[in-house]
This record gives sequence, C-alpha cells and structure tokens, in this order.
Amino acid sequence: MAKNSFNTDDALQFESMLNEDDRMIMETARDYAQSKLEPRACEGNQDEIFDPAIPKEMADLNLLGAVIPEEYGGIGASYTAYGLIAREIERVDSSYRSFLSVQSSLVMHPINQFGTEEQKRKYLPKLATAELIGCFGLTEPDHGSDPGSMVTTATKTSGGWVLNGAKMWITNSPIADIAIVWAKAKNAGSDDGKIMGFIVEKDYDGFSAPTTHNKMSLRASHTGELIFEDVFVPEENVFPEIRGLKGPFTCLNSARYGIAWGSVGAAENCYHRARQYVMERKQFGYPLAANQLIQTKLANMLTDITQMQLLAWRLGNLKDQGKDHPSMTSLAKRNNCGKALDIARVARDMLGGNGITGEYRVIHHMVNLESVNTYEGTYDIHGLILGRDITGIQAFTPRGNDMPAPNGAARKQPEAAASN
Amino acid sequence: MKLSVCIKQVPDVSAPISIKDGTLSQDSDRMVLDAYSASAVEEALVLTEKHGGEVQVVLVGPEKAKETIRKALAMGAASGVHIQVDDISGLDSSAFAEILAAWHKKSEYDAILTGKQSQDTDAGLTGGMLAWSLELPFAANAVGLEFENGSFIVKRQGDSGQEMVELKAPCLITCSNDMNDPRIPSLKGIMQSKRKPVETVTPADLGVDIASLSSDSKTERTGFKEVPGREPGKKFEGEAEEMVSNLMNLLENEAKVL
Repeated sequence: MAKNSFNTDDALQFESMLNEDDRMIMETARDYAQSKLEPRACEGNQDEIFDPAIPKEMADLNLLGAVIPEEYGGIGASYTAYGLIAREIERVDSSYRSFLSVQSSLVMHPINQFGTEEQKRKYLPKLATAELIGCFGLTEPDHGSDPGSMVTTATKTSGGWVLNGAKMWITNSPIADIAIVWAKAKNAGSDDGKIMGFIVEKDYDGFSAPTTHNKMSLRASHTGELIFEDVFVPEENVFPEIRGLKGPFTCLNSARYGIAWGSVGAAENCYHRARQYVMERKQFGYPLAANQLIQTKLANMLTDITQMQLLAWRLGNLKDQGKDHPSMTSLAKRNNCGKALDIARVARDMLGGNGITGEYRVIHHMVNLESVNTYEGTYDIHGLILGRDITGIQAFTPRGNDMPAPNGAARKQPEAAASN
Repeated sequence: MKLSVCIKQVPDVSAPISIKDGTLSQDSDRMVLDAYSASAVEEALVLTEKHGGEVQVVLVGPEKAKETIRKALAMGAASGVHIQVDDISGLDSSAFAEILAAWHKKSEYDAILTGKQSQDTDAGLTGGMLAWSLELPFAANAVGLEFENGSFIVKRQGDSGQEMVELKAPCLITCSNDMNDPRIPSLKGIMQSKRKPVETVTPADLGVDIASLSSDSKTERTGFKEVPGREPGKKFEGEAEEMVSNLMNLLENEAKVL
C-alpha cells in the first residue's frame, strides 16, 4: 500500500472533498488572484489604489455574483464555489475580496432575492459584467451593531419615497453606480416605522457619496458615506415585499459566509509567508525554524487553519443543501476572522523587523483583518448571537441596569441586533 | 484548420513536495494542467480564432486526469480525447510518444502542438519522438506561430537569437511557455466545458500493449535527490589593500582565472 501523505497546506485534505466544478472554479480564482492581483497588492495598499480595471477583469471571468442564475448574468455556481473564490481573492488582499463580496452578496443577492422581475432584468446583468458597481447602506454614524435604531427615513410621497439621512463605512460607495439602501418608512400606513429596501441610483438629486479618508486598513478598497438630502426614489426602485431587519440581515448572512472563507485565504497566506521566512532566516547559526518556539507557533497556525478550512467547507456544504442556519454563519465568521487575525499577528511577530515592511505583506493582512473581524457583525456581536442561541437569553442590552429611553417611554426590547 | 494539442496533467508545482530516502513524496493531490501544455493550447486557440477551425486536446493519464481535459475545454478547445492509462508511473517519454502516435495515426490534423517539455519530468523528449514516429516535419521550442498559405511559420528561440522555420502541414511543433500568457478559463467556460465531447479510449483500442510498454521501458528511474545546497561564498575583511590582495591571490591560484 502506498504510504499516506501529510499535506502541510491542507492537513485534513479538505480540497480533496471538493467536486470538479468547484475545484476548477477555485483554480480560475487562484490563477487570476496570483497572476493579476498579487502584483498590484503592495502598491495598492501603500498608495490606496483600487485599480479601476479590476471589476471588469473579475467580471470577464464571471467571478461577480457567480451564484446568481444564468438568466440574470450569473452562472448558477454553488455556494462552496463562491466561498472558494473569496478565499483565493483574500489570499491576496481583503480589500479586493471586500469589493467582490459587496457586489455579489450585498447588491446582486438582495436584488435577486427581493427585487421585482424588472429590477432583476435592469440591474443584475450589468452588475455581473461590472458595467454597474454597487454598494450597500445599512450602518449609520451612530448605529453600527444596532441597526434597528437607524434614523435614515423614507417618507412616502406621490409616486415614490423621499430619503433623508446618512450611512457610513460603505465599501465601494465612492465608485458605486447604485446603492442598496435600508431606511425606516414614514407616512406609510401599515408599513410605518418598518425598515424597507431601496435601489438608489447615483445621479438622483440630493444623493452624494463622499470618500472616507485616512483608513489604516483595507486601503486598496474604496470606502465612503452615503448622504441623502430629500432624495426622491421612484416606486419601481423599492423592494416590494421585504420589511424589517430580515432584509438586510439576509444580505449580511450571505456576505458573512464569504468572509468566513475569505479569512481562511488571508490566514493561509500569513502562515505560508511566515513558514518560508523562518526556513530561510538564520540567527545564531541556525534557521529560525530550528527553534522550538517557532515550531509550535507554526503548529498552532496549521491547526487553526485546518479548523477554519473544515468549518468553511462544511458550512458551504450545508448551504448548498439548503440546510444552513444564520447562527452557523455567525459561528464560522466569528471563529475564522478571530483566528485569522491571531495568525496574522503571530506571523508578523515571526518576521521580526521585516514584518513591519509592506513588501513582506504580512502586516498588510494583519491590519486588513482588523476590519474584517469588525465588519459584518463584530467578533463580540456574533458571540452574543451564539450566546442567545445557547441560553435563550438576549444580552445585547445590559440587564439590571436599565436606563430610561430618551423620551421617557418604556424601553423597547431591541430587534436583536445583527441577528436574523 | 484542425489542431491537435497533446496535454499533460502534472502535480501543482506550488504544492509542497518532499524527497525521503530517494523517493519523491507528493503531499498534495492537487494536479493541474502542465504550464507548457497550457501555452500550446493557448497558441492553438489563437490560431483557430484567427483562421477558423477547431482545437482538439489529447491526454494520456488516469481517470482523474479528465479534469485537466476539462480545463483545456474550459479555455476554449472544442473536444477532448482521453487515452485512459490508470498508472502512468512506469511510462517514459518514449512510451508516451508511442501511445500518442497510435492515436494520431488514426486521426486527422493540420498540426500537432505539444509543450516543449512538461513540468513534472522536464525531459522534453515526447514531442520530438512523436514527430519521428509519425514522420512529420518538426520544430521545437516555438515562441511564435503563424499560419500562411497552408504552412506554419514557427519562430524558434535559440541561445543567441531566433530562427524562423516554415513547416508544411501536417507538422508538429513544441511550444515554449514564453510563447504566450495562457488565458484563465472563465466560470462560464468551466460550466460549458461539461457539455463538450470527450472521447475515452484505452491503449488496447489503439493496438498498444501497455504492460509491455511499461516492462520494456527504455529508461529506468533509480531515485530522487534533493538539489544540493550552495556552498557559502568567501568573505574578506580588513583593509582595502589587504582584501584586494587576498582576492587576487584566490583568483590567480585557486580559481585560476587570471
């Protein structure tokens, strides 16, 4: 019998479980990321450049909205394939993966899920070819983990709605042609106070999307605000049926799934770079890798990465079978981002002074992962989601120390922050 | 124009491999389309896009190698031929050439393209041997290819220059990986590749006795060795004059280049 082997990139051989389509899609994403994105990554991060050619390049390979059905411009790929794409892109830079996640999960996904037939036909094919770039507006300056208390409003008027308010930390906003915006309905009869979804086009009067400056993380991705000053949105650009936080959370759930995979790629890259460095770097006459301290660090990294790979793969499997639950995604997003960040920090340390420079790219992943660990539900918020599932008790608001609501009225229980 | 491209599945060079006790251990089951083969497929696709016609890829390998045929189909080849051999470990370049020759004796083509070598063994022999078996005009290490008036114009890379060779069809050309930048298959191409025809044949169907081909192999692999590490260079210290004199001494008496 042939001797079984141990692959120090894929210890429990999860890639051997992938089907042929998914593996081929992974190869395409890997070839593209390594040949076209990797050469731009260092400069992109240092000088805050998101090459405007990138969306079209991704679109030409059908990497945008791959799970969307063919009739709307996607290719009907599996969720596993979508995850594998995110892993390969984030192996280079979380910024590029953020662009892809937003376009695919936060823009194309809600239009496909909640949009009218006209909205799907109008927007999806052009989003798939990157003729249109999209962004997603939920978070507000004062409402992050608790989006249910948002203050952006949509007031019903003749033939449509008027938006007022502001959204913040919006990936792609400065370059976006359309924005999926969530706002609270006013003057809307039975829908009053409910959260509704709108497709806002960039040239609508009163709409602007200024850039957020001085980011120290995800520097190769555009981030900005969305500002609405009496922006009229026609009725045909409203998602007709979806109401409440379920709408945005469905999108976030899809994006978080991609992030759970993406962080695997970033962690793997940090591990590979640290491994190569300690094999080559000699101190006191021996490679760093000859030291016990270094070896156990590598062993911990490989162990964590193996867990992350298996978690992401199994979650993809369940999604493809329609058996996933949002809390599974919370678990995977929380675990994988937290672990990836730890791995990046340790890798940075193992590279010593060289780890501080951009060329070695580990510190680049490290600062990116600070954002990735925070956005789309922070590490702690996902902990509270899981905590509520485990105990049946919500702990988003403090207990035993209740403060009166600002208007003196009784405080309403939160619509479970960042839950689904 | 009908172009037949011989492709090979090889272990991913970026996956970890190790050598233990003279045996090669591939720690990954990640197998990919050989990079030289990919350049040959790309060049064939470019030629047929320009002049019309179609590209067929031919591969010798186990069941799992079908995936590599699909990759070439996803790039744009029209059809594939899988000559199924479950264990290729006993086959050397000459055996591959014999199997491929048996297939091509039964098929029609204007040119056969192969990689100039493959990433697994880097032997670089199969293309030439195949041309000899089929008695075809042959050019190796192509970095450019054109088609004019029924002839293939091959730009060959030499050590100190390039040579232009005209080959009458049918002919065989081995392709360098410097020839082009092979296209990355789109996801649409990957999905469409499932619907393209792949014909599976066995060596026996082609009249080739695979057992004797293995047992009568013209070459025998005796083992693998790690690339030896490089000796560290000599470092001089001290005053400039002293260092120059030491250097001169070594150049003259040890390296004997002066």
